[in-house]
Amino acid sequence: MNMPADLRAVSHLARSLSPLSRPPRWKIFGELALIVVGILLLSTTIKLHWLTDFIIFFIIVLSFDLLYGYMGHLSFGHMLYYGAGAYGTGLFLVNAGKNPIAALFVGVAVAAILSAVLGLIVMRTHGASFALINMAFNEIGFFIIRSPLAKFTRGDDGLSCNAEKLFGIVDLNDDLSAFLFVGIVLLLVFAFLRVLTTSPFGILVRSIKENEKRVAFFGYDTFRSKWIVFVISSTLAALAGGIFTLVRGFLSPQVISPFGNVEVIFAVLIGGAGNLYGALIGGAIFMLIKNFLPVAIPELSKVVGVKLPQWEMWLGIILLIIVFAMRKGVVGVIRTQWHYRFRVARNAP
Amino acid sequence: MIQTIVYGFTIGAILYFFSVGLALTFGTMRIINFAHGMVYAVGVYLFIAFLKVFDDSFLLALAASVIVMLPVAYLIERFIIRRLYGEGLDYAIIATYGVLLIGTDAIKMLWGTTSQPVNDPVGISIEVADFGLPVYRIAIFICAVVLFLALRLFFKRSIIGKIVIAALEDSDGVRCLGLDVNKYFSIIFVLGSALAVLGGILYAPISSAEPYMGFHILLLAFAVVIVGGMGNLNGTFIAALALGMVMAITGRFWSQAANAMVFIVMALVLIVRSRRLTQD
Repeated sequence: MNMPADLRAVSHLARSLSPLSRPPRWKIFGELALIVVGILLLSTTIKLHWLTDFIIFFIIVLSFDLLYGYMGHLSFGHMLYYGAGAYGTGLFLVNAGKNPIAALFVGVAVAAILSAVLGLIVMRTHGASFALINMAFNEIGFFIIRSPLAKFTRGDDGLSCNAEKLFGIVDLNDDLSAFLFVGIVLLLVFAFLRVLTTSPFGILVRSIKENEKRVAFFGYDTFRSKWIVFVISSTLAALAGGIFTLVRGFLSPQVISPFGNVEVIFAVLIGGAGNLYGALIGGAIFMLIKNFLPVAIPELSKVVGVKLPQWEMWLGIILLIIVFAMRKGVVGVIRTQWHYRFRVARNAP
Repeated sequence: MIQTIVYGFTIGAILYFFSVGLALTFGTMRIINFAHGMVYAVGVYLFIAFLKVFDDSFLLALAASVIVMLPVAYLIERFIIRRLYGEGLDYAIIATYGVLLIGTDAIKMLWGTTSQPVNDPVGISIEVADFGLPVYRIAIFICAVVLFLALRLFFKRSIIGKIVIAALEDSDGVRCLGLDVNKYFSIIFVLGSALAVLGGILYAPISSAEPYMGFHILLLAFAVVIVGGMGNLNGTFIAALALGMVMAITGRFWSQAANAMVFIVMALVLIVRSRRLTQD
């Protein structure tokens, strides 16, 4: 228990490297079933329309968790790729054709190419420079969408774009089918990320987070691995943006606004970084805070008779608690407790 | 054109006031401090409140709000920033961002979400080539130059300044001399926060106060800190004026591009600098 943190991480990595302890593939189906149960539980309290938004947000958070949680690169510019995917899809729908799959494909491809090019630049920086150079690109992208491309994107007025039915059958404007479509994409993304992060490549990525120099010393091309992860993560964010466009049929420059990054970072940290469940749970908690507190607080203030602080303040307090008391997020705390109850306590003499 | 230049210098001067504290915190402690924006915004709103108390006396209200913000800044340093020394970049960002959110919401609760205008305390313009040049803007620029010279003197001559400069280079070495580095860091932190409040108040008559003003200037100030070189005071001064000028000139031709232009410069600087860093 008292091992230093990095040694513990290394021993954890070593254990996952051994082929015997690699999680069996069938386990993924169990996890996916768990997610379905969780979303069904959420659906009892939230309208289906909102739940679709939640799930799209979960996909962004999952993609960001790959970059930040697994590789340790904090970016302030993830929304650039989300927005690029959304606008790529939307502009295709408006100008080229109504086929949703083709539009989604084009949007994601545009964002993937963009991230591949920018990744060559940003992946050469570290730490604060990495965070801020991404923010700079995001800010530039936000500007490009709003102003020079305003002829196509209609600037701040927003762009409405309707797709035809998916495969000719599924109407994405219908709440239930949109929800099912988005849910299936979430499950696919989760399964993909689970396979990726437990694969040897995923373990290499986690080793880069622990000590990049040492990994490079072993002869791995760390720049290439980092670039690949950046492109994958950005492409998944773009996928979330594309399905957002398909489901909502309306785009405003808000989707590419750099302020969105902060929300994604918070969601990852609330749940626990470097952990796919953490991304999901953190995303759910964050969205609940963001969507329910603004409604709940005024009503609560009427009951109490005192004007209560708005949701931003509560979020601020939660962030301070996370940093000073729960570094590993909700999932980290649960995991430590679990580990203590069922592993350490049982093995104690 | 003269007007644009003066406007550029004004924005640059305000950016300098704000970025000094940010650059020092970043240079000494490697912390990206979002709480700086909170101190700035709350300071300006306090100033507006004090204006009513002191019958619109600009200087009295200014002094009062700076004095009130000093202990606030100290508490932030003592209980939040100091616990994050040597931690990862991310936790510092999250914690200080939390402080910024709390401050923004406090402003919204106490003063509402509408923006509050502040009167120009001088209110005189001089006519130069058919343009009215507000004296107040020129006064702001002069203040920034005076501040720059004063800070230079402070870091060159005074003991505290010298220790901080030494700690910027090698804080462990300074610790080995038996000096309590944290004490000096908190002095610098409080000083930087006071300058941010000062800058905010000087800027308020031009831009008017709104709850999210801290967020907006923070992003620009990061660009200043990056372009100027982290923790480099001369660089920060030059970068602030240069970026202010970039904003004013782009703003004149294409107002929406002003912010993006600043970030383009920042991205270019980061790219050039990171290439140099990866070589060694």
